[in-house]
Amino acid sequence: MDAAFPDLLKPFLKYAGTQPITAEASLNELGLDSMRAIELLFTIEDTYGVSMPDELLTDSTFATAGSLWNTIESLRGRAA
Amino acid sequence: MSTATGHESALEEVLAAAAAHAEQADEAAEFPTAALDAMRATGLLGLLVPAEHGGGGGGLDDLVDVTLRLARVDMSVALIFAMHCQQVVVVVRHAEGPFAERLLPELGKGDVYLASVTTEHGKGGHLLSSESTVRQDAGTLTIDRDAPIVTGGQHADAYLITTLAPDATSPAQVSLVYARRDQLTLEVRGGWQPLGMRATQSVPMRLTGRVPADQVIGASGKFREIVAPTFGPLAHIGWSAAWLGAATGALSRILHHIRDAGRGQFDPSSELLLTRLARIRGRLDLVNALLRHTVAAVQGSPDVADPSTQLLVNSLKVHAAEQCFAAADEMVELVGLRHGYLRSSPLYLERVFRDLRSASLNYANDRLLLVNGALTLRDRQVHLA
Repeated sequence: MDAAFPDLLKPFLKYAGTQPITAEASLNELGLDSMRAIELLFTIEDTYGVSMPDELLTDSTFATAGSLWNTIESLRGRAA
Repeated sequence: MSTATGHESALEEVLAAAAAHAEQADEAAEFPTAALDAMRATGLLGLLVPAEHGGGGGGLDDLVDVTLRLARVDMSVALIFAMHCQQVVVVVRHAEGPFAERLLPELGKGDVYLASVTTEHGKGGHLLSSESTVRQDAGTLTIDRDAPIVTGGQHADAYLITTLAPDATSPAQVSLVYARRDQLTLEVRGGWQPLGMRATQSVPMRLTGRVPADQVIGASGKFREIVAPTFGPLAHIGWSAAWLGAATGALSRILHHIRDAGRGQFDPSSELLLTRLARIRGRLDLVNALLRHTVAAVQGSPDVADPSTQLLVNSLKVHAAEQCFAAADEMVELVGLRHGYLRSSPLYLERVFRDLRSASLNYANDRLLLVNGALTLRDRQVHLA
């Protein structure tokens, strides 16, 4: 994960507190819900210049910080 | 009870008990104990337990059919039944291991009434977070749970209770714990004096006790995995059936009245009467179509958590609440003050109107619309389930 990625996530995770966000951390358990997830999606698309196709907008994509980061990486790879 | 058609006599018995006490239960905001006793005695409470565990082997269509019939007489009784069935299906689908093997035959007998304890003072009805801690030591969970609203809480034989997982590091790690009445100390902490659905007697309660740790339904801290495929859809389907049944019963009583005792007050050539009746009937047909389609979609979907199915299930709840209450409002207007507004009318529209006002609030429509707005943005292709 990019070092800046946890900082991007934090505002959308109401239970994140001050603990570091690891790649394995469950985003739902850190407080991500469906309303915040869509806000996070827009932020990710703006920040990384990617467009996430509908079929990737699944619970498994948003399961952990790591799964979300891997999805972003694969989209950036596609764009490069 | 063997099949879905085999429960007709059981249903008749419950309907008779419900009808005999509905007015009194509403008046006093008391639980319909006679109807519940009949549900226990006939085994109707086991309708959705698979036949191999001794239950009725019914499916979602049976749940809808029975709930519709009950609600024509008393919406509170229908809500009680539907919410009990929701808990049963949660156990059937998500309980595992030796605990499930012991519990399912008990539920299959159909004389165990399950209540749901999900509300909390700090979060209202929000399902996916909790502030209620639980202590685990030596295979035992110690529960101390304060809930502002527990439908049928004073009459249940067992409870499905949401709490934090014992080792929770976040409020989102919610567990679902099964507790029998004899494993708990129950304290009623207040009254119940609502506008409608008064016979659900949804009192504030404190539940304390110790239960074996294997009585957690599903994985510890993973109640979320039960909500999306089961808990949510069953709630919305069951509630919608209760609301539709209540409105359907009201319209039926009006039509009997117009064709019979009230014949002199209504002119069948009145265009106003005909168009109003058509509008009311149309609302009920709409909800029925959406309800039946949602049941089929939920049963046919490989992944009930996919956005299209979730959107549909939430839409059903929102539309059923709005349309059934609108229908009741129009029915009051149609028949006028004496039969639409007075408690003494044998049409009891006044009660149905009060009952149905709860529909949009019973898990708030606004909350579901927020979720559906977010889900809609995730589906640019607009895949309709």
